[in-house]
Amino acid sequence: MSGDPLHTKLCDMLGIEFPVIAFTHCKDVAVAVINGGGFAVLGEAMHTPEDIEADVRWIRDRVEGRPFGIDLVLPSSVPPAGSVEELMSNIPDTHRAFAQEIKERYDVPDPKGQVDLHQWGGLNQELARAQLDVLLEERVPVIASGLGSPAFMLDAAHERGIKVFGLVGKARQAKRQLEAGVDAIIAQGYDAAGHTGNVGTLSIVAEVAAMAGDTPIIAAGGITTGRHLAASLCLGASGVWTGTLWLACRESDVDMIIKERILESTVDDTTFSTSISGMTMRVLRCPWTEEWAKPEAPAPLQAPYQMLLSSDYIQGANDNRRADLMTEAAGQGVSFVTSMKPAKQILFDMVEEALDTFDGICGDG
Amino acid sequence: MAERTHERVSGFDPDMAGRVAECDGGHAVMGTHFAGREEFTGTLTGEYVDHGDPPWRWYLLGDLTRRPDEYTHDTVWCESGNLFVVDTRDRTD
Repeated sequence: MSGDPLHTKLCDMLGIEFPVIAFTHCKDVAVAVINGGGFAVLGEAMHTPEDIEADVRWIRDRVEGRPFGIDLVLPSSVPPAGSVEELMSNIPDTHRAFAQEIKERYDVPDPKGQVDLHQWGGLNQELARAQLDVLLEERVPVIASGLGSPAFMLDAAHERGIKVFGLVGKARQAKRQLEAGVDAIIAQGYDAAGHTGNVGTLSIVAEVAAMAGDTPIIAAGGITTGRHLAASLCLGASGVWTGTLWLACRESDVDMIIKERILESTVDDTTFSTSISGMTMRVLRCPWTEEWAKPEAPAPLQAPYQMLLSSDYIQGANDNRRADLMTEAAGQGVSFVTSMKPAKQILFDMVEEALDTFDGICGDG
Repeated sequence: MAERTHERVSGFDPDMAGRVAECDGGHAVMGTHFAGREEFTGTLTGEYVDHGDPPWRWYLLGDLTRRPDEYTHDTVWCESGNLFVVDTRDRTD
Protein backbone atom coordinates (compact mmCIF):
# COMPACT_ATOMS: atom_id res chain seq x y z
CA MET A 1 0.00 0.00 0.00
CA SER A 2 1.20 3.51 -0.61
CA GLY A 3 2.00 5.96 2.16
CA ASP A 4 2.43 5.25 5.82
CA PRO A 5 -0.93 4.27 7.32
CA LEU A 6 0.39 4.97 10.80
CA HIS A 7 1.30 8.57 10.07
CA THR A 8 -1.83 10.37 11.20
CA LYS A 9 -2.89 13.91 11.98
CA LEU A 10 -2.24 13.12 15.63
CA CYS A 11 1.41 12.47 14.70
CA ASP A 12 1.55 15.84 12.97
CA MET A 13 -0.11 17.62 15.87
CA LEU A 14 2.25 16.20 18.46
CA GLY A 15 5.37 15.74 16.35
CA ILE A 16 5.53 12.04 17.16
CA GLU A 17 6.50 9.08 15.02
CA PHE A 18 3.82 6.57 16.05
CA PRO A 19 0.16 7.27 16.93
CA VAL A 20 0.36 5.34 20.18
CA ILE A 21 -0.32 7.00 23.52
CA ALA A 22 0.69 5.26 26.72
CA PHE A 23 -1.46 6.21 29.67
CA THR A 24 0.60 5.31 32.69
CA HIS A 25 1.19 6.21 36.30
CA CYS A 26 4.89 5.39 36.02
CA LYS A 27 7.28 8.12 34.92
CA ASP A 28 9.87 5.64 33.64
CA VAL A 29 7.32 4.06 31.31
CA ALA A 30 6.27 7.48 30.06
CA VAL A 31 9.83 8.50 29.27
CA ALA A 32 10.61 5.19 27.52
CA VAL A 33 7.56 5.46 25.26
CA ILE A 34 8.17 9.12 24.46
CA ASN A 35 11.81 8.51 23.60
CA GLY A 36 10.78 5.50 21.50
CA GLY A 37 8.68 7.65 19.20
CA GLY A 38 5.28 7.34 20.82
CA PHE A 39 3.51 9.66 23.22
CA ALA A 40 2.79 9.26 26.90
CA VAL A 41 0.36 10.77 29.35
CA LEU A 42 1.18 10.48 33.02
CA GLY A 43 -1.83 10.00 35.28
CA GLU A 44 -1.54 12.35 38.24
CA ALA A 45 -5.10 12.39 39.57
CA MET A 46 -4.16 11.37 43.09
CA HIS A 47 -1.06 13.54 43.38
CA THR A 48 -0.61 16.77 45.26
CA PRO A 49 0.08 19.92 43.26
CA GLU A 50 3.65 19.87 44.59
CA ASP A 51 4.22 16.29 43.44
CA ILE A 52 2.78 17.09 40.02
CA GLU A 53 5.17 19.99 39.64
CA ALA A 54 8.12 17.74 40.52
CA ASP A 55 6.98 14.99 38.13
CA VAL A 56 6.55 17.41 35.25
CA ARG A 57 10.09 18.66 35.71
CA TRP A 58 11.44 15.11 36.07
CA ILE A 59 9.96 14.09 32.74
CA ARG A 60 10.95 17.31 31.03
CA ASP A 61 14.58 16.69 32.00
CA ARG A 62 14.56 13.29 30.27
CA VAL A 63 12.73 13.67 26.95
CA GLU A 64 14.95 16.16 25.12
CA GLY A 65 12.19 18.57 24.27
CA ARG A 66 9.71 15.95 23.10
CA PRO A 67 6.11 16.56 24.12
CA PHE A 68 4.30 14.72 26.88
CA GLY A 69 0.97 14.92 28.65
CA ILE A 70 -0.44 14.94 32.15
CA ASP A 71 -3.87 13.48 32.92
CA LEU A 72 -6.08 14.76 35.69
CA VAL A 73 -9.44 13.36 36.65
CA LEU A 74 -11.41 16.57 36.67
CA PRO A 75 -14.57 15.80 38.60
CA SER A 76 -17.90 16.34 36.90
CA SER A 77 -20.19 15.76 39.86
CA VAL A 78 -19.55 16.00 43.56
CA PRO A 79 -21.85 15.46 46.51
CA PRO A 80 -22.37 18.23 49.04
CA ALA A 81 -19.26 18.59 51.19
CA GLY A 82 -18.79 16.24 54.10
CA SER A 83 -15.81 15.18 56.16
CA VAL A 84 -14.38 11.68 55.92
CA GLU A 85 -15.55 11.08 59.46
CA GLU A 86 -19.10 12.12 58.58
CA LEU A 87 -19.04 9.87 55.54
CA MET A 88 -17.71 6.93 57.53
CA SER A 89 -20.55 7.30 60.00
CA ASN A 90 -23.05 6.72 57.18
CA ILE A 91 -21.83 3.22 56.33
CA PRO A 92 -24.48 0.69 57.43
CA ASP A 93 -23.56 -1.89 60.05
CA THR A 94 -24.56 -4.69 57.66
CA HIS A 95 -21.89 -3.62 55.23
CA ARG A 96 -19.26 -3.20 57.93
CA ALA A 97 -20.04 -6.68 59.17
CA PHE A 98 -19.79 -8.18 55.68
CA ALA A 99 -16.41 -6.51 55.10
CA GLN A 100 -15.24 -7.86 58.44
CA GLU A 101 -16.40 -11.37 57.47
CA ILE A 102 -14.29 -11.20 54.32
CA LYS A 103 -11.34 -9.98 56.33
CA GLU A 104 -11.60 -12.92 58.73
CA ARG A 105 -12.39 -15.57 56.09
CA TYR A 106 -9.36 -14.69 53.97
CA ASP A 107 -7.09 -13.64 56.81
CA VAL A 108 -6.64 -10.21 55.28
CA PRO A 109 -3.82 -8.46 57.13
CA ASP A 110 -4.11 -4.95 58.49
CA PRO A 111 -2.54 -2.15 56.45
CA LYS A 112 1.00 -1.39 57.55
CA GLY A 113 0.27 2.30 57.69
CA GLN A 114 -2.84 4.32 58.23
CA VAL A 115 -5.07 4.39 55.18
CA ASP A 116 -5.07 7.97 54.00
CA LEU A 117 -8.73 8.67 53.58
CA HIS A 118 -8.18 12.38 53.41
CA GLN A 119 -6.42 12.34 50.04
CA TRP A 120 -9.45 12.85 47.89
CA GLY A 121 -7.73 13.52 44.58
CA GLY A 122 -10.10 14.97 42.05
CA LEU A 123 -13.15 14.27 44.17
CA ASN A 124 -13.42 17.88 45.16
CA GLN A 125 -13.14 21.00 43.07
CA GLU A 126 -10.62 22.71 45.32
CA LEU A 127 -7.83 20.17 44.90
CA ALA A 128 -8.58 19.50 41.24
CA ARG A 129 -8.36 23.20 40.54
CA ALA A 130 -5.03 23.45 42.36
CA GLN A 131 -3.71 20.48 40.35
CA LEU A 132 -4.81 22.13 37.13
CA ASP A 133 -3.18 25.43 38.01
CA VAL A 134 0.19 23.66 38.24
CA LEU A 135 -0.20 22.30 34.73
CA LEU A 136 -1.04 25.76 33.41
CA GLU A 137 1.90 27.31 35.25
CA GLU A 138 4.27 24.64 34.02
CA ARG A 139 2.93 24.89 30.46
CA VAL A 140 2.88 21.12 30.02
CA PRO A 141 2.52 20.30 26.32
CA VAL A 142 -0.75 18.37 26.73
CA ILE A 143 -3.38 18.33 29.46
CA ALA A 144 -5.76 15.38 29.31
CA SER A 145 -8.97 15.39 31.29
CA GLY A 146 -9.86 11.84 32.21
CA LEU A 147 -13.48 12.57 33.07
CA GLY A 148 -14.90 16.06 33.36
CA SER A 149 -15.15 18.48 30.47
CA PRO A 150 -12.03 20.61 30.07
CA ALA A 151 -13.92 23.26 28.10
CA PHE A 152 -13.63 25.94 30.78
CA MET A 153 -9.85 26.01 30.60
CA LEU A 154 -9.35 25.91 26.83
CA ASP A 155 -8.55 29.58 26.36
CA ALA A 156 -6.14 29.64 29.29
CA ALA A 157 -4.39 26.53 28.00
CA HIS A 158 -4.18 27.65 24.42
CA GLU A 159 -2.79 31.04 25.44
CA ARG A 160 0.08 29.12 27.01
CA GLY A 161 0.62 26.83 24.03
CA ILE A 162 -0.95 23.85 25.79
CA LYS A 163 -3.09 21.36 23.91
CA VAL A 164 -6.13 19.92 25.70
CA PHE A 165 -7.52 16.42 25.26
CA GLY A 166 -10.86 15.34 26.68
CA LEU A 167 -11.86 11.75 27.41
CA VAL A 168 -15.48 10.83 26.72
CA GLY A 169 -17.68 7.79 27.08
CA LYS A 170 -20.73 9.14 25.25
CA ALA A 171 -21.22 10.88 21.94
CA ARG A 172 -23.01 13.86 23.49
CA GLN A 173 -20.00 14.56 25.67
CA ALA A 174 -17.80 14.50 22.57
CA LYS A 175 -20.14 16.86 20.73
CA ARG A 176 -20.03 19.33 23.61
CA GLN A 177 -16.24 19.19 23.81
CA LEU A 178 -15.76 19.46 20.05
CA GLU A 179 -17.96 22.54 19.99
CA ALA A 180 -15.84 24.02 22.78
CA GLY A 181 -12.69 23.45 20.73
CA VAL A 182 -10.67 20.73 22.44
CA ASP A 183 -7.61 19.65 20.49
CA ALA A 184 -8.35 15.93 20.54
CA ILE A 185 -11.00 13.59 21.88
CA ILE A 186 -10.23 10.29 23.57
CA ALA A 187 -13.23 8.04 22.88
CA GLN A 188 -13.19 5.36 25.55
CA GLY A 189 -15.23 2.20 25.29
CA TYR A 190 -16.57 -0.34 27.74
CA ASP A 191 -13.59 -2.66 27.18
CA ALA A 192 -11.32 -0.34 29.14
CA ALA A 193 -9.74 -0.86 32.52
CA GLY A 194 -11.12 0.94 35.49
CA HIS A 195 -14.30 2.95 35.21
CA THR A 196 -15.84 3.14 31.80
CA GLY A 197 -19.08 4.06 30.16
CA ASN A 198 -21.37 1.37 28.81
CA VAL A 199 -20.74 1.89 25.09
CA GLY A 200 -18.34 -0.53 23.41
CA THR A 201 -15.08 0.70 21.91
CA LEU A 202 -16.09 -0.12 18.31
CA SER A 203 -19.26 1.93 18.63
CA ILE A 204 -18.00 4.95 20.54
CA VAL A 205 -14.92 5.43 18.36
CA ALA A 206 -16.85 5.23 15.10
CA GLU A 207 -19.62 7.52 16.37
CA VAL A 208 -17.27 10.18 17.69
CA ALA A 209 -15.00 10.00 14.64
CA ALA A 210 -17.99 10.65 12.42
CA MET A 211 -18.69 13.96 14.14
CA ALA A 212 -15.12 15.12 14.73
CA GLY A 213 -14.19 16.78 11.44
CA ASP A 214 -10.48 17.62 11.56
CA THR A 215 -10.12 17.07 15.29
CA PRO A 216 -8.11 13.91 16.01
CA ILE A 217 -9.93 11.09 17.75
CA ILE A 218 -8.00 8.70 19.96
CA ALA A 219 -9.45 5.24 20.54
CA ALA A 220 -9.39 3.82 24.06
CA GLY A 221 -10.60 0.63 25.67
CA GLY A 222 -9.15 -2.85 25.28
CA ILE A 223 -6.34 -1.84 22.93
CA THR A 224 -3.24 -3.95 23.41
CA THR A 225 -2.12 -5.15 19.96
CA GLY A 226 -1.14 -3.84 16.57
CA ARG A 227 -4.35 -5.29 15.20
CA HIS A 228 -6.27 -3.11 17.64
CA LEU A 229 -4.25 -0.13 16.45
CA ALA A 230 -4.97 -0.88 12.79
CA ALA A 231 -8.65 -1.42 13.52
CA SER A 232 -8.87 1.85 15.44
CA LEU A 233 -7.40 3.78 12.52
CA CYS A 234 -9.90 2.10 10.21
CA LEU A 235 -12.70 3.26 12.50
CA GLY A 236 -11.57 6.83 11.99
CA ALA A 237 -9.29 7.29 14.96
CA SER A 238 -5.95 9.03 14.58
CA GLY A 239 -4.30 7.14 17.40
CA VAL A 240 -4.80 4.83 20.34
CA TRP A 241 -4.79 5.32 24.10
CA THR A 242 -3.36 2.31 25.91
CA GLY A 243 -3.11 1.57 29.62
CA THR A 244 -3.17 -2.13 30.53
CA LEU A 245 -0.52 -2.74 27.86
CA TRP A 246 2.16 -1.06 29.97
CA LEU A 247 1.38 -2.44 33.42
CA ALA A 248 3.73 -5.41 33.08
CA CYS A 249 6.51 -3.82 31.05
CA ARG A 250 10.00 -3.87 32.49
CA GLU A 251 10.10 -0.19 33.40
CA SER A 252 6.73 -0.33 35.17
CA ASP A 253 6.79 0.19 38.92
CA VAL A 254 3.71 -2.00 39.39
CA ASP A 255 4.30 -4.70 41.99
CA MET A 256 5.83 -7.87 40.50
CA ILE A 257 2.91 -9.89 41.89
CA ILE A 258 0.48 -7.85 39.84
CA LYS A 259 2.73 -7.99 36.80
CA GLU A 260 2.70 -11.79 36.96
CA ARG A 261 -1.08 -11.82 37.31
CA ILE A 262 -1.45 -9.52 34.33
CA LEU A 263 0.69 -11.84 32.22
CA GLU A 264 -1.39 -14.87 33.26
CA SER A 265 -4.79 -13.22 32.93
CA THR A 266 -7.36 -13.56 30.23
CA VAL A 267 -10.49 -11.50 29.75
CA ASP A 268 -12.34 -13.93 32.02
CA ASP A 269 -10.08 -12.94 34.87
CA THR A 270 -11.43 -9.41 34.78
CA THR A 271 -14.72 -8.39 36.31
CA PHE A 272 -16.90 -5.32 36.01
CA SER A 273 -17.58 -4.70 39.66
CA THR A 274 -18.95 -1.99 41.91
CA SER A 275 -17.46 -3.59 44.99
CA ILE A 276 -14.22 -1.60 45.01
CA SER A 277 -15.49 1.92 44.67
CA GLY A 278 -19.26 1.80 44.39
CA MET A 279 -18.97 2.64 40.72
CA THR A 280 -18.59 0.04 38.00
CA MET A 281 -14.92 -0.63 37.45
CA ARG A 282 -13.09 -3.31 35.46
CA VAL A 283 -10.50 -5.02 37.64
CA LEU A 284 -8.80 -8.36 38.07
CA ARG A 285 -10.94 -10.71 40.14
CA CYS A 286 -9.96 -11.08 43.79
CA PRO A 287 -11.69 -12.42 46.92
CA TRP A 288 -13.20 -9.00 47.62
CA THR A 289 -14.90 -8.73 44.21
CA GLU A 290 -16.02 -12.37 44.28
CA GLU A 291 -17.57 -12.18 47.75
CA TRP A 292 -19.51 -9.01 46.94
CA ALA A 293 -20.83 -10.68 43.77
CA LYS A 294 -22.50 -13.49 45.72
CA PRO A 295 -26.31 -13.42 46.07
CA GLU A 296 -26.15 -13.22 49.84
CA ALA A 297 -23.86 -10.18 49.80
CA PRO A 298 -25.35 -6.77 50.51
CA ALA A 299 -25.54 -4.44 47.53
CA PRO A 300 -22.34 -2.41 47.28
CA LEU A 301 -22.69 1.13 48.51
CA GLN A 302 -22.50 4.22 46.36
CA ALA A 303 -19.20 6.10 46.06
CA PRO A 304 -17.45 7.18 48.11
CA TYR A 305 -18.84 4.89 50.84
CA GLN A 306 -17.87 1.61 49.19
CA MET A 307 -14.31 2.88 48.69
CA LEU A 308 -14.17 3.81 52.35
CA LEU A 309 -15.26 0.27 53.10
CA SER A 310 -12.85 -1.47 50.69
CA SER A 311 -9.82 0.69 51.43
CA ASP A 312 -8.76 -1.40 54.43
CA TYR A 313 -8.80 -4.62 52.34
CA ILE A 314 -7.01 -3.03 49.35
CA GLN A 315 -4.36 -1.37 51.47
CA GLY A 316 -3.86 -4.45 53.64
CA ALA A 317 -3.42 -6.68 50.60
CA ASN A 318 -0.99 -4.31 48.90
CA ASP A 319 1.07 -3.42 51.97
CA ASN A 320 1.58 -7.07 52.80
CA ARG A 321 1.97 -8.22 49.16
CA ARG A 322 -0.67 -10.94 49.46
CA ALA A 323 -0.83 -12.35 45.93
CA ASP A 324 -4.09 -14.15 46.70
CA LEU A 325 -5.79 -10.92 47.68
CA MET A 326 -4.36 -8.20 45.46
CA THR A 327 -6.14 -6.69 42.48
CA GLU A 328 -5.52 -4.09 39.81
CA ALA A 329 -7.59 -2.43 37.14
CA ALA A 330 -7.21 -4.19 33.81
CA GLY A 331 -8.97 -3.91 30.46
CA GLN A 332 -10.36 -6.64 28.27
CA GLY A 333 -7.23 -6.57 26.14
CA VAL A 334 -5.26 -8.08 29.02
CA SER A 335 -5.27 -11.48 27.26
CA PHE A 336 -2.68 -10.16 24.82
CA VAL A 337 -0.25 -8.95 27.46
CA THR A 338 1.83 -12.08 27.79
CA SER A 339 5.46 -11.14 28.29
CA MET A 340 7.47 -8.64 30.28
CA LYS A 341 9.18 -6.56 27.62
CA PRO A 342 10.81 -3.13 27.62
CA ALA A 343 8.32 -0.39 26.83
CA LYS A 344 10.09 0.56 23.64
CA GLN A 345 9.87 -3.03 22.42
CA ILE A 346 6.15 -3.13 23.18
CA LEU A 347 5.73 0.02 21.14
CA PHE A 348 7.73 -1.30 18.20
CA ASP A 349 5.95 -4.66 18.25
CA MET A 350 2.58 -2.92 18.16
CA VAL A 351 3.63 -0.74 15.25
CA GLU A 352 5.07 -3.66 13.30
CA GLU A 353 1.94 -5.75 13.81
CA ALA A 354 -0.27 -2.87 12.72
CA LEU A 355 1.74 -2.42 9.54
CA ASP A 356 1.55 -6.16 8.87
CA THR A 357 -2.19 -5.98 9.38
CA PHE A 358 -2.58 -3.20 6.84
CA ASP A 359 -0.36 -5.11 4.43
CA GLY A 360 -2.52 -8.17 4.92
CA ILE A 361 -5.65 -6.19 4.09
CA CYS A 362 -4.32 -4.04 1.28
CA GLY A 363 -1.42 -6.09 -0.06
CA ASP A 364 2.21 -5.03 -0.20
CA GLY A 365 1.91 -3.29 -3.57
CA MET B 1 6.31 26.79 47.31
CA ALA B 2 3.54 29.32 47.68
CA GLU B 3 0.21 27.96 48.79
CA ARG B 4 -2.20 27.69 45.90
CA THR B 5 -5.58 29.15 46.55
CA HIS B 6 -8.29 30.26 44.20
CA GLU B 7 -11.33 32.44 44.38
CA ARG B 8 -14.69 30.80 44.93
CA VAL B 9 -17.68 32.89 43.82
CA SER B 10 -21.25 31.81 44.49
CA GLY B 11 -24.25 33.10 42.57
CA PHE B 12 -27.73 32.46 41.25
CA ASP B 13 -28.68 32.11 37.59
CA PRO B 14 -32.45 32.60 37.16
CA ASP B 15 -32.29 31.30 33.58
CA MET B 16 -31.10 27.94 34.83
CA ALA B 17 -33.39 27.67 37.84
CA GLY B 18 -36.11 25.09 37.32
CA ARG B 19 -34.55 23.53 34.24
CA VAL B 20 -34.56 19.74 34.05
CA ALA B 21 -31.05 18.51 33.38
CA GLU B 22 -28.92 15.39 33.16
CA CYS B 23 -25.40 15.21 34.49
CA ASP B 24 -22.80 12.82 33.07
CA GLY B 25 -21.00 12.92 36.36
CA GLY B 26 -18.23 11.24 38.23
CA HIS B 27 -14.96 11.90 39.98
CA ALA B 28 -11.67 10.34 40.92
CA VAL B 29 -11.97 7.33 43.17
CA MET B 30 -10.14 7.77 46.40
CA GLY B 31 -7.18 5.48 46.82
CA THR B 32 -7.08 4.45 43.18
CA HIS B 33 -5.77 5.97 39.98
CA PHE B 34 -9.17 5.82 38.37
CA ALA B 35 -12.22 7.86 37.62
CA GLY B 36 -15.72 6.70 38.36
CA ARG B 37 -18.77 7.65 36.39
CA GLU B 38 -22.22 8.34 37.80
CA GLU B 39 -25.31 9.79 36.20
CA PHE B 40 -28.02 12.06 37.57
CA THR B 41 -31.24 13.65 36.39
CA GLY B 42 -32.92 16.40 38.35
CA THR B 43 -33.95 20.03 38.44
CA LEU B 44 -31.43 22.84 38.63
CA THR B 45 -31.84 25.12 41.62
CA GLY B 46 -30.12 27.98 39.83
CA GLU B 47 -27.33 28.11 42.41
CA TYR B 48 -23.83 28.05 41.00
CA VAL B 49 -20.23 28.31 42.14
CA ASP B 50 -17.29 29.49 40.05
CA HIS B 51 -13.90 28.15 41.06
CA GLY B 52 -10.81 30.15 40.10
CA ASP B 53 -9.82 32.03 36.97
CA PRO B 54 -10.81 31.13 34.31
CA PRO B 55 -14.02 30.37 36.16
CA TRP B 56 -14.87 26.69 36.49
CA ARG B 57 -18.66 26.69 36.90
CA TRP B 58 -20.70 24.20 38.88
CA TYR B 59 -24.49 24.11 39.18
CA LEU B 60 -26.53 22.56 41.95
CA LEU B 61 -28.94 19.87 40.79
CA GLY B 62 -31.83 19.01 43.12
CA ASP B 63 -35.08 17.04 43.06
CA LEU B 64 -33.12 14.09 41.77
CA THR B 65 -35.26 11.67 39.76
CA ARG B 66 -32.28 9.56 38.72
CA ARG B 67 -29.23 8.96 40.79
CA PRO B 68 -26.94 6.04 41.55
CA ASP B 69 -28.35 3.48 43.96
CA GLU B 70 -27.50 4.36 47.52
CA TYR B 71 -26.62 7.96 46.67
CA THR B 72 -27.76 9.43 49.93
CA HIS B 73 -27.75 13.14 49.20
CA ASP B 74 -30.69 15.16 47.92
CA THR B 75 -28.54 17.34 45.68
CA VAL B 76 -25.37 17.09 43.62
CA TRP B 77 -22.98 19.72 42.26
CA CYS B 78 -22.52 19.28 38.50
CA GLU B 79 -19.76 20.68 36.31
CA SER B 80 -21.32 22.85 33.64
CA GLY B 81 -19.55 21.09 30.75
CA ASN B 82 -21.05 17.76 31.72
CA LEU B 83 -24.52 19.10 32.37
CA PHE B 84 -27.18 18.71 29.68
CA VAL B 85 -30.47 20.59 29.94
CA VAL B 86 -33.13 18.24 28.65
CA ASP B 87 -36.41 20.06 29.16
CA THR B 88 -38.26 21.70 26.30
CA ARG B 89 -38.78 25.16 27.77
CA ASP B 90 -36.99 26.98 24.92
CA ARG B 91 -38.21 24.85 22.06
CA THR B 92 -40.53 26.50 19.56
CA ASP B 93 -41.53 23.41 17.60
